[in-house]
Amino acid sequence: MTLTLEELIQGLDDLPSLPAVVMELLGSIDQEDVDISVLARKVSSDQALTAKTLRLANSSAFGLQVKATTIHQAMTYLGFQATRNLIMAAAMTGCFPSGRCPSFDDKGFWRLSIATAACARVLARHMHFNQDVAFTAGLLHGIGRLVLVSRYPEQYDAVLRECKRVDGDLLALEQAMLGVDHVLAGAALAEHWQFSGTMQQAIAFHHAPDMPGAGFLATIVHVAVAVAHALDLAGDPQGQVPAISSIAWTALGLSEETWLQVFRETELQFEEMTAILMA
Amino acid sequence: MSDDHVLVPVNQAQPGMVLSDELLDSQGLVLLAKGAILSEAIIASLQRHHIDVVPVARVEAHRAPDPVAVGARLDYLFRKHDLGSDWAAGLLRRYVEDYRLERQVAP
Repeated sequence: MTLTLEELIQGLDDLPSLPAVVMELLGSIDQEDVDISVLARKVSSDQALTAKTLRLANSSAFGLQVKATTIHQAMTYLGFQATRNLIMAAAMTGCFPSGRCPSFDDKGFWRLSIATAACARVLARHMHFNQDVAFTAGLLHGIGRLVLVSRYPEQYDAVLRECKRVDGDLLALEQAMLGVDHVLAGAALAEHWQFSGTMQQAIAFHHAPDMPGAGFLATIVHVAVAVAHALDLAGDPQGQVPAISSIAWTALGLSEETWLQVFRETELQFEEMTAILMA
Repeated sequence: MSDDHVLVPVNQAQPGMVLSDELLDSQGLVLLAKGAILSEAIIASLQRHHIDVVPVARVEAHRAPDPVAVGARLDYLFRKHDLGSDWAAGLLRRYVEDYRLERQVAP
């Protein structure tokens, strides 16, 4: 069967929707004049979301000296951007139930996404890049797979089974068997949800950071995905490290000593965040 | 009591052991909080309170990683790469191996 991107985009409205407040946060990405107290009040009405967000904000990864006990405090201490990204992380890692696609391991998917987010955040700090943006881009780089799982569960199940059988390249098999792949699907969803331009590029180019116009965030996410696989954090016995662009690797320009530190920090943050987000 | 706890007779307790549960006296009052680190003085005090055993956190013995197992897993994870020509993947594999085997690297 062959799907067109158009069919895919038309189906995006049927996807399991995010909590209304998260959609509102997505829409506020490029707004300067957001009323923080109004947003904080809206988020606070969702108790589960609030609890998860605060546990993340108070985890050692963010190094708060004083514990935040309300969303409003978290926004004051961490800033609006960082808190918004944490709320999104807390909301996303729970949506998209799989069900009809038994070959899709959603736990493994989120473990890998969280590992990538943690590594992207650590890398961003070393590169003096915005850490919160890198974290979110790492977490969401694979959302296209969730689109395919939700929209075409049976067909995607066949792709995953074939991928396992031939130990093949997932992206190539998606293209061959579905006519679209998770990178296209992710880019379409990012646009549909009105993610910022940088975030859209990172999702669209995380497999091809050397393309003109891909942006540095795509480079960070590209390498973070490879590190997450190499550290075996998805817990997938059949895991494989994807291709690594030598241009992206060189662009980071880190010494071995720094890399070992990046691995250590990534594993520590990963442990803490999976405990919070996947509880 | 779960696997990560072990009951140790007070006369065999060592300074540095970590209490895995709060410790109550015969009246039910908290003597020591969970997570407290035992010292010579605390152990002596426990003996004065006629406490016979203490629950302490089991310490995972630090086992040296097995270079063969680490190498084999990395070979599998990197099975799609030609590590001779794909030098970025080659470096990542080597660094992760150094990390797993806790090798000292030059700064």
